[in-house]
Amino acid sequence: MRKWFGRWRRGGEASCAEVAQVLQSYLDGRVDDLTARRVRRHLEHCRRCGLEAETYEAIKAALARRSHQVDTDALQRLRAFAQRLGEQGPAGTSTPMS
Amino acid sequence: MPAGTEEQRRKAFATYVMPEIEVLLRVARTLVPRPADAEDLVQDTLVRAFRAIDSFDGRHPRAWLLTIMRNAQINRTRRRRPELLDDPDGTLERMRDAEHDHGSPEAVVVGRLFEGIVMDALDVLPGRFRRVVELVDIDGLSYAEAAEVVGVPVGTVMSRLHRARARIRDRLTAAGLAPRGGPG
Ligand SMILES: [Zn+2]
Repeated sequence: MRKWFGRWRRGGEASCAEVAQVLQSYLDGRVDDLTARRVRRHLEHCRRCGLEAETYEAIKAALARRSHQVDTDALQRLRAFAQRLGEQGPAGTSTPMS
Repeated sequence: MPAGTEEQRRKAFATYVMPEIEVLLRVARTLVPRPADAEDLVQDTLVRAFRAIDSFDGRHPRAWLLTIMRNAQINRTRRRRPELLDDPDGTLERMRDAEHDHGSPEAVVVGRLFEGIVMDALDVLPGRFRRVVELVDIDGLSYAEAAEVVGVPVGTVMSRLHRARARIRDRLTAAGLAPRGGPG
């Protein structure tokens, strides 16, 4: 009876401890559908785990914001470089770029 | 080289390499602190990719290019003496850039504080932890792609990444910007 109940619970929703273990993988989209569903159900009502998830999401968002600083000039130079390389081979790129 | 091969090579280069230049530049900026060196590294990678394109099977071009970049980088660090830098990780630059964020006054303050602590926490992480965070969360690589760049198994990337983020989280908690959390 207890065993059956445990399995039923696991099929429906993850526990706090389980969520703690897979939370980052879940937020990275690296868990299977069943696990994702069970975690999602838990996060819907568990405030503590919900806050934990929010914190990790905010960390990821803060880090992702750092990625917008691509040097567009450098990117343009490199695209031009690659263009010449593709068309003329390494010999076409040996002259210094201006 | 035979005439047909040259055309094929040009096509393969345009198809597989050209679309990845931006990602290569992002990753290079993570691998080397100086922008000019990063640009050099990408050029080096492009030349190597061009030379190797005949033997590339067309699968996972990004992973292939990142492996080339990693080898190019290893080569460069062997060739060159490491140079002393005033701001090796670009921390000052990052902090300065944080000044230009927008939003409501409180959101700006809290957001800036939060972000400042995240970046601080990132800076004090051991290099092998910091690198995976930079590659995955900042540069947007997949676990597998980051594994190519670092030269470790995917599982290692994952465990380093998770531990690194947990440490960042601990710092936020210490600063009162995140709940205490953790399993009870
Ligand atoms: Zn919970």
